[in-house]
Amino acid sequence: MPDPNLGTGGPRTPVTMSVLGVGDFVPRRTTGELFVRGNIAYTTTWNNGTASSPFYIWDVSGDPTLIDSVRVANASTLGDIVTTPDGAYLVVATEYSQGSIVIYSLADPRKPQLVSRFSNAETFAGVHTAEVGLVNGKPYAFLSVDPAGTLAAKLVIVDLSNPAAPQQVFSKFIGRPYVHDTFVRDGLLFLGLWNDGVAIWDIGGGGKGGTPSSPVELGRVQTVNGHVHNIWWLKDPVTGSNRYAFIGEESPATGSSSAGDIHVVDVSNMSAPREVAFYTVPGAGTHNFSVDEPNGILYAAYYNGGVRALDVRGDLGTCTDAQKSTPTNSTTPLCDLTKMGRELGIGLLDRGNPVYIWGVQYVNGSVFASDMLGSIWKMRPVSRP
Amino acid sequence: MRIHFSLALSFVSLAWLVAPRGAYAQRPDEHAGMAGMSMPDSAGPSRWHVMAQAIPVLTHAAHTAGGADLTEGYLAQSVLMTRGSLWRGHAQLDATLNGEGLTMTRGELSTGGFGEGYVDRRHPHAYLHELVLTGVGSFGPFNYSASAGRGFAPFGTDDPMMRPFEKYPLNHHLAQILERGLIAGAMRVGPAIVEGATFGGDEPTSPSAMPRLRRFGDSWSMRATLLPRPGTELQASYARIESPEQASGFGLDQRKRSASVRMISRDGSRYALAEWASTAEWDGDRNVEAFAYESALAEAAATVGPIGVAVRLEQTGRPEEERLADPFRTPRPASDLAITGITRWRVGTLALTLPSVTHGAVRGYPFVELARLSARSTVATSVFSPERFYGGGSPWMGSIGFRVRYGPLHARMGRYGVALADSPAIRALGVSADAPHAHQH
Repeated sequence: MPDPNLGTGGPRTPVTMSVLGVGDFVPRRTTGELFVRGNIAYTTTWNNGTASSPFYIWDVSGDPTLIDSVRVANASTLGDIVTTPDGAYLVVATEYSQGSIVIYSLADPRKPQLVSRFSNAETFAGVHTAEVGLVNGKPYAFLSVDPAGTLAAKLVIVDLSNPAAPQQVFSKFIGRPYVHDTFVRDGLLFLGLWNDGVAIWDIGGGGKGGTPSSPVELGRVQTVNGHVHNIWWLKDPVTGSNRYAFIGEESPATGSSSAGDIHVVDVSNMSAPREVAFYTVPGAGTHNFSVDEPNGILYAAYYNGGVRALDVRGDLGTCTDAQKSTPTNSTTPLCDLTKMGRELGIGLLDRGNPVYIWGVQYVNGSVFASDMLGSIWKMRPVSRP
Repeated sequence: MRIHFSLALSFVSLAWLVAPRGAYAQRPDEHAGMAGMSMPDSAGPSRWHVMAQAIPVLTHAAHTAGGADLTEGYLAQSVLMTRGSLWRGHAQLDATLNGEGLTMTRGELSTGGFGEGYVDRRHPHAYLHELVLTGVGSFGPFNYSASAGRGFAPFGTDDPMMRPFEKYPLNHHLAQILERGLIAGAMRVGPAIVEGATFGGDEPTSPSAMPRLRRFGDSWSMRATLLPRPGTELQASYARIESPEQASGFGLDQRKRSASVRMISRDGSRYALAEWASTAEWDGDRNVEAFAYESALAEAAATVGPIGVAVRLEQTGRPEEERLADPFRTPRPASDLAITGITRWRVGTLALTLPSVTHGAVRGYPFVELARLSARSTVATSVFSPERFYGGGSPWMGSIGFRVRYGPLHARMGRYGVALADSPAIRALGVSADAPHAHQH
């Protein structure tokens, strides 16, 4: 049965998300990922083609205002940037050679101070993404390492208990042709393995004896068209549901257009996850996600498609035939979140100038987005209907 | 060390293969394709042509990658080539060893150029550039040949090395398919030639890289050629290449098309080529076209007295990819399927080749080339901005150098067996004044 509270009547007209502010500085470089904690935001720069790359520090308490920048040596590109869960440290992923993670103290979040740099032969090709999460109380970083030449891509897990001396605890060649990103929560690790789909590993919370140094695979799923780029496993604090993982498909993008859908996977049985729904935007493709879990709203960066807000509370895998569509190059109809009336808002397409949104984050009642053609946007979240 | 040893061994082996039969130079400093010897020749001796070439060249590139002005020197196009017949003309061997992996590892300044992880530089070619054995025969009006080895798939136009410019055209990776492990067949009836080949789609990942056996047969190409009159050649071709840039096989595929008209005078003193080529990158997972690039090129050359003059006009679309700390390199393999834009390049190139300044077995032909370029994004709002990246100025390049050559100049490169039509060498490439202006074959 469709969710009785939502989306039984077909597509809704999404609202235009209100812009609260935009960065007061546009770097000459291309903006990459962002991470916001409290009133401070950090944005990376991408594809610099130089021996070092800066990241920028913003005060986002009001209009985003540039505070400072930090230059990272031996990095032609900075991808991911994230803090440890306690906010004490900032972790920055660097590409290409010398691939690494660089760890900064956030004793003063406005002035990150270098603590250490973790790099070895296994990360040397480049760290494409780095996620940080707690496993049984200890912080770990999960590094998706680029392929290089004839070397395959690799997952490297690093113990950050001592940020001054990170310790590698696991590595594995994985992904076809690469592992692109991970998501860690409650001792489970979700891996985006591109054309090998999504794998779910027990690393301490799956009940199969897995640990970060000795993971145990629980299940795997192939989403339509592969190209698995990123993942968010939702735990809804209101309904208690932890049934869905959202999978970003990154298909070819041109720097002005893009492609790739959001795939909804039912993980209620971790050993047999299955795709039940999807969301597509004609002419645009998704990149990174952030979920306002208390309100059950997923915000997706959609490159030239701006920011999309989706209602992800309730039953996403049950819908009427009229609410189904067939994804590109598939023959099996799936529930279509747009037809189910789940598309709540669209952001940044009303600005008069094009945007190309890399990352998005919901924090403390605001939605922030990084724009590869600009810098950082601050928006008002959408409301539940 | 192993690479150097293998290269040395290859050179020695090639020399041994050729030496016992005696190097045969049909003319002192040029020879054409194999068409004249494409049929079994029961009466004639085996004939071998050997050419060694190297081009010391100095290039200045203004407003190249990162807005830099650079002047660099290299030993480019260092090759040892042989073509010959075996088994009384029932078979032919084409072999080319290329030393660029040793002499220009960083690549050659070539603003606007791209391919195999190099951008705004031309990449060094594979040490084993070409080693193809071809069997030939005839049946009634049909002449046929079958080829196997590593070399050129039947697609597009001649390799730029045998055309009258030192700098490669920007469309090299749109208009030729080379250094592939292949099996090819060709049939010729009167003025019509049809070729087909199956090969491995993976392009070389380094000069020492060999085609991956498990990729063999995943790609194919076809080419039709019409020879309406001597010296005139019409060509159309099509190719499907699986994942050329991801050796693992999981990258985007390519669908390529090419059409061209080539004309050359009987003595090679006048030459012209007009070509159109396109490459569509295909997302096989979604079964949709992802990106497309197109190129149009016209070039002509003539000898004016002892001077060779050549002009080339080109417009080519180029994918823009993420760059490494070295702005002339891109990640190989890439870490996703995205590009940052498509740049439309326009280039005008003028080349002058002067008479040989040396005599005897080794000759040196001085040349000078000037190229003026412009770059514009095909979509103004792309992430990649050529205006920003190249510093806003108009890029240009100037080169001076010598074509140092031993042995007869090869006329064509990129065809095998009966697909190789009669043709003289292009004289503007450097053929000395004391050489006979003879049409070959």
